[in-house]
Parts: sequence; structure tokens; C-alpha cells
Amino acid sequence: MESALASQSSTAVQATPRTRKLQVLGILSGFTAGAWLGAAEAPTKLVSIGVSPMVISLIMVVGVFLARWSLPALILGTSSVRADVRRAPHLIIWALLAGCLWAVANTLTIFAIRDIGLSIAFPLWNSNSLLGILWGFLFFNELRQAGWRRWAGVLGGTLVMCVGAALLAIASSSEAPAAHSLRGVWAALGAGVLWGTMYIPYRKAYLTGMNPLSFVTFFTFGELGMMTALAVSYLGVAPLWRELMGARDVLFWLMLGGFIWVIGDLFQQYAAKYVGISRGIPLSNTNQLWGLLWGILVFGELHSRGASLYMQVVGGSLLMMLGVGAIALSSATGKEQSRWKEAARREGERYDVAHDYVEARMDGRQAATEEKPSRGALDWLLVAGATFIFVVLATIARVPQISFRWGPAALLIAATLVLLLVCGAKLWRTTHFH
Amino acid sequence: MQQNGRTDPTRNWVAIVLTDIHFWVPVAVLLGGLLLLRLIH
Repeated sequence: MESALASQSSTAVQATPRTRKLQVLGILSGFTAGAWLGAAEAPTKLVSIGVSPMVISLIMVVGVFLARWSLPALILGTSSVRADVRRAPHLIIWALLAGCLWAVANTLTIFAIRDIGLSIAFPLWNSNSLLGILWGFLFFNELRQAGWRRWAGVLGGTLVMCVGAALLAIASSSEAPAAHSLRGVWAALGAGVLWGTMYIPYRKAYLTGMNPLSFVTFFTFGELGMMTALAVSYLGVAPLWRELMGARDVLFWLMLGGFIWVIGDLFQQYAAKYVGISRGIPLSNTNQLWGLLWGILVFGELHSRGASLYMQVVGGSLLMMLGVGAIALSSATGKEQSRWKEAARREGERYDVAHDYVEARMDGRQAATEEKPSRGALDWLLVAGATFIFVVLATIARVPQISFRWGPAALLIAATLVLLLVCGAKLWRTTHFH
Repeated sequence: MQQNGRTDPTRNWVAIVLTDIHFWVPVAVLLGGLLLLRLIH
């Protein structure tokens, strides 16, 4: 008995550095997600033809679909996905639901941008982080027993980020809002609510041990299915096909945007897993900052505009960084961590998932009963198939004639790749992508 | 316990999902989103 207690106490003492390590990993994943989600906007800026927004969104989702199957196959192999689904089959429903939420939210943003402009729409849908805090608190014990300092750090940081985001969005908007402003406001708020709620399935999955790489493979069926249904119902099959054929020389750029977006989203998933949704969502919302950097430095947006505009951009960026710093310094304490574990136990019992499996996965490890993941012929086929499609589309792609500054682009690409390598290596060393 | 980590494979997981209150929150939000999309289109 005594030795069991001593062993438990020793495990608790040893768990603390591991927990801290995972928190740092989650924060780093959130930053990396922001960089990659922001970079995903770059290829879409190359597309300036008259394709309907619904079709642009659909093509990007097709790129997302290819990436969501080929990347997990390359990193861990589909055997790992199959094993995860055997353990927690209920998560297929949750993943499909999350994918549907994403697709509807994305479509609403198209209407929001058209009706009220990016400057008002972006901060409105970025309110999703506030909703994420609410759902995290209500359903998953996040920020419970966290103390007022951490509450102030997370909530205050998120609010400061919202103000910074509003400043950046106003600065980056060059178009006056069109008519139907009330409709646009509703669309943007609706997108924020849908995106904020989408994180309930995310957190649910990670509290019952699912690997983010497995979750996204099913998520994408909901995403593609819902997006196709929306595009067909709003445009009709024949007009949709005609638009797709008309856009074949820009398919590559749009699908590349989707592919890059998936890399960002994968890191976002790891952030949601290791720091929770209350901290993970605001951290990955820094994508707006990166998107603006691409726009200003590489595509020459805001060129020769007044000094006050640049002050607005600098001010907004500083506020966003301040908010991110506050959230990053408010990582969960031991008491809050134990409340997370309570929520994980509750989920494990409800869905009949073995306790040791849930505990191991929460700790970024494989359970003792698990087999080591391996890649097979199917995985290489998926990787080769996705690569082939991208190569074929690249050969028919048209290089657009637009202002593009290679120097800043090389710097931003280098910074984004460094984040990928650093965070990817840390994820591999600490969790082997679990 | 089974090799796959589930302790009772006979339990119907679809029924468990449908009786989980957390499930109905995203479903309600999704339906609301679809309705909003229909109204503004």
C-alpha cells in the first residue's frame, strides 16, 4: 500500500514537467497554426478571375480533402486512423458534424465580406474565441480553479486581440461596405458562432484520446459533403460544372491554398488538444496578422497609403501580439489540469473508452496496449495519388501577372517553414504526433 | 477489456452520442446556420 502511494506521488511529481512541456507544445502549435493559416491566403490572392465565391470555396475544400488524407497517411499511416476509430467510433459522428459546421461558416463569411466588407466582418467572426472560452468552461472544465490571474490573462488577452483584429481589419479594407449591412452582420456573427461551436467536437475528440491526424480525416467528409451540397443547391449541377471547367487554370492555386490551410489546421488541432480550446483558438487567430503581412509585404497592398494607416496596422499588430503574450503566459495550472482530467474521465466512461488509453493519449503517449503505427501500400498510394493530382494541375496552371515581391515572400516562406520544422520536430520528439 | 481498448463492445455508441447533451449544441447551431444561410441568400 505504502509503495503504491509512494509510486503515485512520484508519478504526480514526474508528471509536472511533462505537463508543462505539453503546454509549451500546445502554445507553439497555436503560433505555428496562425502562420500557416495566414500563409494559406497567399495562393488565393493569385486568383483574380470571375469565379463565384462558392466555387472558390469548393475548390479549396477539394485541396483540403486531398491533404487531409495524404498528410496523415504520410506521417503515421492509415493503420493508426483505423485503430483510433476502433477505439472511439463515436468520434466519426463528431468529426462529420464539425466538418459540416466549418463548411456552413465558411459560406457565411463569403456573404459577410460581400455585404459589409472585411473590416467589419473579420472582427465579428473572430468573436469565435470568446465562444470557445464559454464552451471550454461549460463543457470541458477549462479555466475551472484557474485563479483570477489566468482568467484575466485568457479573457483579457482575447479581448485585446479582438480590438487589434478590428484595427487590422479596418486598415486592410479598401472597399466601402455595400448594401445589406444588417444581413452581412448576421452572416459574420453566424460564422463566428458556428466556428466557435465547431471546437466542441475538437475538444470532445481529444478528451477521449483520438489523434488529431485521425480526427481530420473524417472531419473532411463533413466538410466536402456539406460544401458540395451547398454549391449544388445554390448554383445547380450544370452551372457549377461549367464554372469548374472555366476555372481549370487556377485550380492549382486554390487547391494549394487548401493544402497549406490543412497544415495550419493540423497544428491548430494539436493546440486545441494540449492547451484546450479557450487558449488554442485565440492563438491560432493570429492568422489574420500573418495574412496581413503577406498582403502588405508580398502583394503590395496598402502601397502609398497614408502614414496613419500604417500606424493603425502597427498598433493593431502590437495589440494582437500583446493579447497572444497574455494568453501564452496563462497556461493551465495543476488544479485546472486535474479538472481537465475529470472531464476526460467523464467522457471515457460515457463512451466506454479504456481509461489507460485516454490517459496515455492526454499525456501525448501511446497506450501500452496499442500497436506501433506503420505505413502500408495504401498509404503510399494516397500520397502518390495526391501528389499526382497536384503535379497535373500545376502543369495546366496559369501564372498570374500580378505584383509579387520575391524578397519578402522568401523571408515569410522561410519563417513559416522554420516554425513548421521547429514545431513538427518538437511534436515528434515529445508525442510522436499523438 | 478488449484489445481495441473498448471495455464493452455491445453498447450502442450511436445511442450514447444521441443522448449526449453536448451533441445537440453543435447540431442546433448547425441547423441555425443553415437557416440563416437560407434567409440571407
